[in-house]
Amino acid sequence: MNDDFDNNQPGNFIRMQIKLCARCFLIAAALLIAACAQETSLSEETSEAAKQTSEAGAGETSAPPPSRPNPLRNVYFGDLHLHTRNSYDAYLFNVRATPEDAYAYAKGGTIKHPMGFDLQMNSGPLDFLAVTDHAEYLGVLEAIDTPGTEYSKAPYAKDLFSSDRGDVIAAFGHFVVSLRTGEILPELSDMSATKSAWRQTIDSAERNYEPGVFTTFIGYEFTSLPEMRNLHRNVIFASDKAPPAPFSAFDAQNPEDLWRWLDAKRAEGMEALAIPHNANASDGTMFERVKWNGQPIDRAYAELRMRNEPLVEIIQTKGQSETLPLLSPNDEFAGFEVMDLYVGSIKPVTTFAGGYVRDALKRGLETEARIGANPYKMGVVAGSDGHNAAAPYEEDNYFANHGVLDGKPELRGSVPPPDYESWDAYYADGGRAPRAMGSGGLTGVWAEENTRASLFAAMRRKETFGTSGPRIRVRLFAGYGLEGVNLATDEGVRAAYENGVPMGGDLVAKQDETPQFAVIAMRDIHSAPLQRIQIVKGWTDETGKSFEKVFDVACADNGAVDPATHRCPDNGATADLETCEFSEDKGDAELQSLWTDPEFDPAQNAFYYARVLENPTCRWSTWDAIRAGVAPNPKLAKTIQERAYTSPIWFTPANDDQ
Amino acid sequence: MMTSETPQTAGSRGAFSRAAREPLVQFLVAGLVLFTANGLLNGEEQQRAQDEIAVTEGRVEQIAESYRLLSGRPPSRAELEALVDDFILEEIYYREAVAMGLDADDTIVRRRMRQKLEFLAEDAEASKEPSEEELAAWLASHKQDYRLPARISFRQILASRDRRGAKATSDAAEFLKALKTGADPENLGDASMLPSALPLTTQEGVAALFGEAFASTLFEHKGEGWFGPVASPFGAHNIFILSQEPARDPALDDVRGKLRADWIEARRRKTREDFRARLRQRYEVSIDWPGVYQDQPAPAGAMSAD
Repeated sequence: MNDDFDNNQPGNFIRMQIKLCARCFLIAAALLIAACAQETSLSEETSEAAKQTSEAGAGETSAPPPSRPNPLRNVYFGDLHLHTRNSYDAYLFNVRATPEDAYAYAKGGTIKHPMGFDLQMNSGPLDFLAVTDHAEYLGVLEAIDTPGTEYSKAPYAKDLFSSDRGDVIAAFGHFVVSLRTGEILPELSDMSATKSAWRQTIDSAERNYEPGVFTTFIGYEFTSLPEMRNLHRNVIFASDKAPPAPFSAFDAQNPEDLWRWLDAKRAEGMEALAIPHNANASDGTMFERVKWNGQPIDRAYAELRMRNEPLVEIIQTKGQSETLPLLSPNDEFAGFEVMDLYVGSIKPVTTFAGGYVRDALKRGLETEARIGANPYKMGVVAGSDGHNAAAPYEEDNYFANHGVLDGKPELRGSVPPPDYESWDAYYADGGRAPRAMGSGGLTGVWAEENTRASLFAAMRRKETFGTSGPRIRVRLFAGYGLEGVNLATDEGVRAAYENGVPMGGDLVAKQDETPQFAVIAMRDIHSAPLQRIQIVKGWTDETGKSFEKVFDVACADNGAVDPATHRCPDNGATADLETCEFSEDKGDAELQSLWTDPEFDPAQNAFYYARVLENPTCRWSTWDAIRAGVAPNPKLAKTIQERAYTSPIWFTPANDDQ
Repeated sequence: MMTSETPQTAGSRGAFSRAAREPLVQFLVAGLVLFTANGLLNGEEQQRAQDEIAVTEGRVEQIAESYRLLSGRPPSRAELEALVDDFILEEIYYREAVAMGLDADDTIVRRRMRQKLEFLAEDAEASKEPSEEELAAWLASHKQDYRLPARISFRQILASRDRRGAKATSDAAEFLKALKTGADPENLGDASMLPSALPLTTQEGVAALFGEAFASTLFEHKGEGWFGPVASPFGAHNIFILSQEPARDPALDDVRGKLRADWIEARRRKTREDFRARLRQRYEVSIDWPGVYQDQPAPAGAMSAD
C-alpha cells in the first residue's frame, strides 16, 4: 500500500508522529522530534483534516446555480467512456493524467498529452462525463511504479515502464494474458491499490459534479475478455452511492454474474447500469442466442439482462458496432468506421452476427417471438474509450487514444513511418495496413435538466442517441395523430410527447391506425451540414424470422425521396482533399420529416431508429496527412460521413401481451 | 545521500563529514527510515555501537501492537519472539547493507528517500487552513483568475437558409423593418431547434450553438431594440438583447470553496519550491559536461537555483 500518496491513509508513520514547529520547517524532523513532541498530531486528526478537505472540495463546485427543469427536455452531450492513469493500460502508455484532469478537459480546459502537447476541444465543454477506468488492476500500475510498495517487488516491475513503443506493447501483453484468462496475477492480487484508486474515482466525481452545469457519473469498466473476445461493459452509477470496490472480470468473466451483482447492489440502494461496448470485437459473442452455459436464452435471462443493460455503445474510437456491409448488404452507408480486428491484437474477427447492434435488435425480436421476452431491447449511446484522460471528438483536432503509442501521426498510420518516403514504398515493402482507429463518439441525452438524477432517468428510459463525434441534435417520436406536429416548436414537442413516445419507447398498436414518425435533426455548427435522415426498420414475420430495411425520410437541398428506392438524390456534397474545405452550399442546417412506414404491417413486431448523416468531411487521417504535407494513407478512408443514431422505438402488435 | 542532483564529488567519508555539519543530512543518515525514527521517539536505543542491538521494551510493545492491529489479538509469547527475531534480523541486514554502502548507488533507495523528504516538506503545511484575510488577499491578488465572464440573454428570429436560400438575408432585413414598426415577433421567422430565446449565456456558450462570428457580433453590439441581420450557419437572424451582464469580479463568498482549494495548493507548491531552493543553496555544484554537450548552447535559465 502506498500510503504516501493517499491523504486518507493514516498509515504513514512519519506523518502521524511529526508535526513540525515552524522554525525547523519540516526538515530536520527526526533530530527535532523530541523538541516538538508536544505538538505531535494523531492519525485521527490527520484523516479528519483530509476528510474535511474533501468535503469542502465537493461543496465548492456543487452550489449554484440550479437550472430550471424543462419539461420538454433539453439535449445534453457527454462521454460515458474515458480512461485515465488509473487504468493499467493507460499508465503503461505513459498517461499520467488523473480523473481530475479528465473532468478539467471535459469542462473545456486544457490538459497535456503524455507526449507534451496541449489538448483542448474546439467545440466547447461537454455537459457530462463518466470516468470509466478498468476495474482490473485499477490503480495498480502506479503502485508498481512506486518504490517501497509491495507491488513494486513484482519481479518484472522495472521492465514495465518505458516510453519505448516496443517495451510498452510487451508490458501491455503481460496484462492482457491475465485478462484473457480472467486470472489475476497472484503477485498483484492485493486489493489496496484498487480500493484507493476507486476512492479517488468517487471523490473526483463528487468534487466535479456541478448540478445544472456539469454532471459527473461514478463509473468503471468491467473488462471481460474471455479468449480475447471483447465482452467489456461500462458500469455507471446513478448517484453518489457506490460500493467499496468494483466487480471486475477477476470476480467473474461471465456478464451474467455482473448483472446479478448489480441486482444485489440495487437491492442495497446502489442503482447502476452496465453498457456493453465494442461488440464489433466480440467475435459474435456480445449478443448470442445462448447463455454463458450454452443453454438457449430464457425469459429470466432476458429480464436479468434488460434490467441491468438497457443501453449499448454503438460507436467509439475502436469502430462502430451498428452494422457492416456483410450483415446489411442493402445499406450502402454501412461501410463506415469498420474495425474487424480483436482489441489489442491483429487477429481478425470471423463471426460478425451477434457482434452488431442492428443484428442484435433483430435477434431480440426473434427471441421475443419464441420465448415472449426480448433480451436485446437496447437504447443507443456512444463514447470515446479514450485513454489519455481526454478524447478527440473532432476530426480536425485529433490526437488518438493511447498515449505514446499513437500520439504522433507517424505512429498511427496517417503519415508514413520515418523509414519510408511514401505509402507506396511502405506497402511495396510488405508493410501492414494500420488498424482503422477513429475519433471518439458522444452520447446525446434528452433530459429535463443537467443533473445526475435527470440524465440517469433518461438513460433508463433510453431517450438517448449516439453520434460519431459531432454534436448533431436529433429527436424521434412515434405515435398517432402527429399530423402537423412541428418538432422545431415547443408546441410541436409538447404534442409529440402527448400523442406519442420518444426514442427508446414502446408504441402499442391502435385499431385501424398507422403509426407516424416525427423526426428532426440539427447540424453541429463546428462540423458539416446534414445530408439526410434515415429510418432503419427491423421486423419479424409470422414465422419469427427477422428482416431489415433502410428508408431515407428527409433529404437536404429540397431533394425528394424516390418512392421506389427510398433514397434521396445525391446532393453532390464533397470535401476537398487538398484543403479539407467542404461544400457549405450543400446540405441543410436542419432536416425534419413526418413519416409513415409504407410497408407497415400491424401484425408484425418491429423496431425503428433514425440515422442522421452529415455531408462528407475529411477524416482525421486526411487532416494529419495534409498537415504533414504527404499523401493520405491509401488504405484508410479519406472522408467520412459523420452521423447520429437514435435509440429505437419498438412497435408491438395488438393482442400481443408479450 | 543528499547529493542526488549533484555528481559524486567525494567518497562516502566526505559525505559523512559533511553530514556532521548538516542537521538535515544527519537526520537522513540517522535514518528517516521508519524504525530508526521510531527508535528515537521511543527514546532509549540511540547511538548503538556497531555490533550491539538493544531491543527496548517500548520497541517490543510496538511490535506487539502492530501485530494486534493486523490480527485483532495480541501475539502469544512464541509469536512475539518470532517477530522480535525478525526485527533483529532486519536491523542487522539494514546496518550491514548501509555499512556496505548498498543504499548509496541504489536508484530506488535514492528516489524513495527524495520522495519521503518531499512528502514531509509538503505535509507539514497541508493541514493549515487559510484565514479570512488570507483568502481576501488571495482573491485580490488573483482577480483575473476568478473573474466571471460577461453574459447576455437575447431573443432571435431566424430566416432559414435551408428554406429561403440566398433570400434569407433580404427576408431577414424585411423582418427587421416589420419588427421596428411593431410587428409581433411571434409571427415572424422560421421555427428551428434553436432556442428562440436564450437565458444569460457566456460568449463561449453562444458560440457553441450559433458559431463564433455570431457570438462576437452579439457581444460587441451596442444599442437598444431589434437589430440584424446577423449571419450564422443556419441563416440570417434578427436579435433583441434582453439583458446584459458585464464581466465581474465575484464576492469572496461566491468562490470561497475554490479560493480555499487554490490557496492551499499554492501554499503547498510554494513550500515545495522554497524547500527545494533552500536545499539547493547549500550545495556547491560543479558539472563536468561531456564534450558533445559542451558546445551546445545552454537553455535559458538552466542550472539556476531551480
